[in-house]
Amino acid sequence: MGYLDEQFNQLEELQDESSPNFVEEVVALFFKDSSRLLTNIEQAIDKYPQDFYRLDSLVQQLKGSGSSIGALRMKNECSVFKANCNDRNLDGCRRSLQKMKREHATLKQKLESYFQLLRQVGPRDYAVSSRK
Amino acid sequence: MAFQTEGSNLRALLVEDIKVNRMILSAMLRKFQVETTVVQNGKEAVELFLGGETFDIVLTDNLMPIMTGPEAISKIRAMGATTVMIVGVSVDAHSMEEFKDAGADLCVPKLKLEILEDILQETRSKKNKSSA
Repeated sequence: MGYLDEQFNQLEELQDESSPNFVEEVVALFFKDSSRLLTNIEQAIDKYPQDFYRLDSLVQQLKGSGSSIGALRMKNECSVFKANCNDRNLDGCRRSLQKMKREHATLKQKLESYFQLLRQVGPRDYAVSSRK
Repeated sequence: MAFQTEGSNLRALLVEDIKVNRMILSAMLRKFQVETTVVQNGKEAVELFLGGETFDIVLTDNLMPIMTGPEAISKIRAMGATTVMIVGVSVDAHSMEEFKDAGADLCVPKLKLEILEDILQETRSKKNKSSA
């Protein structure tokens, strides 16, 4: 499974002369917000008694923003996390959180490399690969 | 993709709690020269209508703090705002009925530029018909 889905292409379509760094700005905002959310989720998991409603709400926010930038694997893992919240499965939630943190770190690394490469290539006269 | 700009600019209300999503949806509307007001939850949307604001189209998320999308739609329709186009965004199959029962005209699981173009075209036609 790829790291990004076609939603990422939508972001690229929104980038133009008036917003030349739109994609990178949106992605930067996503990583800023999602890092905060992951910290909040971790704190919520360690709290006793567990508030699965709050956990679900936090994961829903992460799923929403991840889905908007095309973060496919993160979105899928959020769905698994939500199912664990629904089942009040704390161990399942912990496992999902660890997986989400790994996916988050990997995606961040890959996108940082991608934007670095774009900067080296220069202005948009290149063919954009559909697989990312 | 050619973006249509016939007639006067449409006025949109965007109701979305997630920052990343607000940024993306605002950029999409800007692509079509739509004059956009942005609020962060259903209660703020309702307050704008209570204050006498009018819009051609409302795009609203589902789950938000304080007041959800369907709750806000119900209140907006109950106020007599029956002609404004209301679109539920990020709506899964599970929530579609709730949105429709509340009075939404349309629900989309994910807003893409092509879909938004069609929705705005329909909104424009509806507006032109009612002012004829």
